[in-house]
Amino acid sequence: MTEPTRTRRSATASWGSSRLFANVLTYAFLIAGGLLMLGPFVFSVMTSLKTPKQFNTSWPLTPPAPVTGENFAALFSEQYNFVVPIAVTAQVVLVLVVGQMLTSILAAYAFAQLQFPGRDTLFWVYLSTLMIPAVVTVIPLYSMMTSLGLKNSFAGLVVPFLFGSPYAIFLLRENFRSTPSDVLDAAKIDGAGVLRRLWQVMVPMNKPILATLLLITVVSQWNNFMWPLIIAPAPEWNVITVATAALQTQYNGNWTLVMAATTIALAPLVILFLVFQKQITSSLGVTGVR
Amino acid sequence: MNARQRHEARSAYAMLLPSLIGVIGFLLLPVLIVLALSFMRWNLISPPEWIGLENYAYILTWPRFGNSLLVTGLFVLMAIPASIAIGLLLAIAINRGLPGTSWLRVLYVLPWVCAPLALGVVWKWIFDPTNGALNAILGRRIEWLTDPDLALPAVVFVQIWSTVGYISLFFLAGLQQIPRAVYEAAMLDGAGSVRTLVSITLPLLRPTMFFVTVTSVISSFQVFDSIYAMTGGGPAFRTDVIAARIYDEAFVGLRLGRAAAMAVVLFVVLVGVTLVQQRYFQRRITYDMS
Repeated sequence: MTEPTRTRRSATASWGSSRLFANVLTYAFLIAGGLLMLGPFVFSVMTSLKTPKQFNTSWPLTPPAPVTGENFAALFSEQYNFVVPIAVTAQVVLVLVVGQMLTSILAAYAFAQLQFPGRDTLFWVYLSTLMIPAVVTVIPLYSMMTSLGLKNSFAGLVVPFLFGSPYAIFLLRENFRSTPSDVLDAAKIDGAGVLRRLWQVMVPMNKPILATLLLITVVSQWNNFMWPLIIAPAPEWNVITVATAALQTQYNGNWTLVMAATTIALAPLVILFLVFQKQITSSLGVTGVR
Repeated sequence: MNARQRHEARSAYAMLLPSLIGVIGFLLLPVLIVLALSFMRWNLISPPEWIGLENYAYILTWPRFGNSLLVTGLFVLMAIPASIAIGLLLAIAINRGLPGTSWLRVLYVLPWVCAPLALGVVWKWIFDPTNGALNAILGRRIEWLTDPDLALPAVVFVQIWSTVGYISLFFLAGLQQIPRAVYEAAMLDGAGSVRTLVSITLPLLRPTMFFVTVTSVISSFQVFDSIYAMTGGGPAFRTDVIAARIYDEAFVGLRLGRAAAMAVVLFVVLVGVTLVQQRYFQRRITYDMS
């Protein structure tokens, strides 16, 4: 028994010095990566806090001195009117989050807990729609919405995505299926109907996954660009991403103003992410797609 | 079927109704419409006119469509291997569990929650030849986004930058599922760190690798927002990815039939790529980790 122990100890000793080297390398790699990730955010916010004159006359990466809010003030002034895109985006996100969560919860519960003819076929159809790329549906959705007279309208922005997402349904179904059935059975014996069992038992028991799904929906809707660009190009219906793109094209080179716009577009989600980062990162392994 | 079962089935269908509107009306119907439009000539003004296979005959011999397929292919081939390799390295580095490194992963994931459009605008400023951050650091004037040879690598870099953190989370979750005992056994057998990576870590990460590759390939094939912000497809169509070409044909050139045909081709290509990847990963040996 002594022989293997000795070999093991000497292996650990040589491993020790290479381990120190590996640790130094790991720190260097992770910190360099972190700086590279953070840099664009820091520099763009710094630029948004400079006057155009300060920006043009000094090295691009010097901190703003003095800090000015004039770019943000300009964006909220009558000329650029960024209040409108923020309000439109907030409403779109709110309506779509409520709509998608409600429809997805209902459908996921039916697939997970109820018996009905055609359940497996129907679920297979839902799953197969996950393969349909957004770029493919954009043209037909545009033709459908315009023929309904919904171009440049709130309805045009939200209607195609209001009725749940197959991905959310798939994700929730998996979680609803693994919910212990004895609690549900107890509620059933107590005479609770399908909806009461869903809202008073299933939903409270699956809060973490529902919270994650809520965050993912907020993120993807706030960031959405291609569909709003196509269906609502009129300024009064611009969402924040479309307004930022328009500002960038129109005032090309006016970087202090444009960086103020990107700061407004990015800040809410960066804050949301930092507050809920544990919730988001720890659940990603389970959830998969955005 | 007794009365109770009938009642349950009725509630199930009622609960599925909203999501069925979504799946049929806004996913399956659009696929049929895009297919129909691909056989038509339509400029949004005069009514669509049936022209058979003319759109397909046109795009399949059209150098600009070939160019878009090539650009998209190059984009995917440059971005995916790099972001998977770096994402894996990041995951391995974080997984070593050195003090003070676990919060860094929050930084790496930050770009993932941000609007690709807004990040694209930020990077357009960073790459700006006169006032941009990058040339300020380098002290040289390089036309990152307007030089035909640099534009594609530049937008690929931004894609890698914004996806590595997200990818690393999946690898991290995969790494944490590998039992410690496997590594201890390898160490006792005298396997070095490279050998351990190649013979143990990578094979055991195969399921994660499959998932990450498939989802990244599918999303990279559809990249649009960041390219729209940074180059708009230029210079000289060098970054004219397929989604940008479809958008331009449909909503700038108002040739919706031709754009629909390109969308159908993209759909077919994506389904094909997914199937090929599935076969590739299935053919290799899979390990049971339970």
